[in-house]
Amino acid sequence: MYLAIREMKFAKARYSLIAIIMLLVAFLVLFVTGLAKGLAYDNAASIQNMNATHFMMEKGSNHRFTRSQLGEGDLAQAGSIVGEKNAQPVGVKMTTVTTGGAAHKLDVTLLAVRPEGWLMPSVTEGTAITSQTEGKVLVDDQLKDSGIGIGTEIFDQASGMKWIVSGFVSHESFSHSPAVFLNERDWQQLQSKSSAWKGASGTASGISYSAIAVKANKDQAKQLAAALPDTEVVTKSEAVSAIPGYKEEQGSLLMMIVFLFVISAFVLAVFFYVITIQKSSQFGILKAIGTRTAYLVRSVALQVLLLSSGSLVVSVLLVQGMKAVLPSGMPFQLDVTTLASTCGAFIAMSLVGSLFSVWQVTRIDALDAIGRTAA
Amino acid sequence: MRHRLLLDHIKRTFEDGGMQRTILDNLNLQVAEGELVAVMGPSGSGKSTFLSIAGALLEPTSGDVLLDGESITGKNKKELTDIRLRRLGFIFQSANLIPYLKVEEQLVLVAKMGGMNKSTAVRRARELLNKLGLTHRLHAYPEKLSGGERQRVAIARALMNDPAVLLADEPTASLDASRGMDVVRLLAGEAKERGKSAVMVTHDERILSLCDRVLYLEDGRLVEKQMVLR
Repeated sequence: MYLAIREMKFAKARYSLIAIIMLLVAFLVLFVTGLAKGLAYDNAASIQNMNATHFMMEKGSNHRFTRSQLGEGDLAQAGSIVGEKNAQPVGVKMTTVTTGGAAHKLDVTLLAVRPEGWLMPSVTEGTAITSQTEGKVLVDDQLKDSGIGIGTEIFDQASGMKWIVSGFVSHESFSHSPAVFLNERDWQQLQSKSSAWKGASGTASGISYSAIAVKANKDQAKQLAAALPDTEVVTKSEAVSAIPGYKEEQGSLLMMIVFLFVISAFVLAVFFYVITIQKSSQFGILKAIGTRTAYLVRSVALQVLLLSSGSLVVSVLLVQGMKAVLPSGMPFQLDVTTLASTCGAFIAMSLVGSLFSVWQVTRIDALDAIGRTAA
Repeated sequence: MRHRLLLDHIKRTFEDGGMQRTILDNLNLQVAEGELVAVMGPSGSGKSTFLSIAGALLEPTSGDVLLDGESITGKNKKELTDIRLRRLGFIFQSANLIPYLKVEEQLVLVAKMGGMNKSTAVRRARELLNKLGLTHRLHAYPEKLSGGERQRVAIARALMNDPAVLLADEPTASLDASRGMDVVRLLAGEAKERGKSAVMVTHDERILSLCDRVLYLEDGRLVEKQMVLR
């Protein structure tokens, strides 16, 4: 409106300084948010890609895939409750592999799923594996950078097993390590090679899994928990945040984002507080000549809105530009909904920051305009 | 003759260190249209309190203020703000103008707040500024104006919404003698020509000859004195 815009035009230097601070903060907010989202996806992509509502794990495993062990009996029972199709076994094992020629080692996560089930990701390159194939795996295309191609042989360091890469999948990782998909048959062989596992499972003959992915509604989840007292039913998001490092990583990034929001609110609060104090005689005169307080409040709020949304627009453009030049290995993800909600939160925080000045403006007395009033 | 401003038995007390102090006591004033009244008095005599009450900024403890015969007591804050906008014109000592508005915009702002449309407001602002000899300053910021010019802009702004009453708070305080005279002459002239009642609180004896009446605030009342002859 009339006053707000003319004032900003008049005091360009002052308002551009604060706009630059806001811009930098907004940029950092968006960048860290993008990084947090990217890291979250990079960390837990394989689990998040799984179309399950819940995971069943062994009691005492603390929601961790790598700690849990379930037998075939559990799978059968789960299948009887939610329907055989809706319960799929998952095997998770983090390990270190070497490739045929190359000397360096790679950390990967082995994920065992039924190739015909709904946990199997689609193949982007090469040929899929079936439950009949032996010694064939699908790997995340991130491993291409390490010189792995179709037909490359990889050796598992722990068990000494050897697999041949038959195809690639994309965006599949667990705890920041690329995923290697194998079928149940190879999973069973792997278990028989690692003798320590056998001893622990107690069911030497049968196959064991890390978890069972299920598609279940609330009632069925309750039924499952009741029917299988030795297991715990955890939701997908609980399972994701239990992935090693996930909570810690997201927690510290979230803290940074929250701090940036608070900082932006305070920067604006201080700026407008000082400016309002400076202008109090001006506000007094405006009120004396008949300006409504609501008009002045709207004018302060409009300035805050213009500053925060202006700096947001520029920083969104900057972040998009940044995204284009970031190396592909950098996990960065900023979809439209996240962007919109972050921008909304930023503007809301700015308005919160301006509340203090608004309160001050309402308190300024028109009487101040007339020299020394009372007595 | 119409009395556009009428103060009727105004009393105003303040709490001061647990004691009741009466600043204005049974003050009466009638200002006819076209008349410029100067109000003088030593510091602390209650000039500012008087002006604040006449300007609908402060409520009297008892008594009544009438603008064009209409009482303003018992109105709520919003109504009083509206009265100040439409029925009263203020001219202050200094820091009168909004630093980031150009001369023309100072006038357009009050017109817009009063609900006038933009083109009418601009036309009226130009007319007024032309009349007050400020046409060449239309697009200047206040910081570029001389003290006299600033007060002339303030007078133009006070006239913008065609008020009933003009109230001036030491308008010559920061001006030299000849500029001060010019400003008051202008104020008196506009009040006469447009039929406003004007009240000016001042310390400046040099300008009294331009006023129709000179009143002194003594013991909370306004008294008329013969001009001291020198």
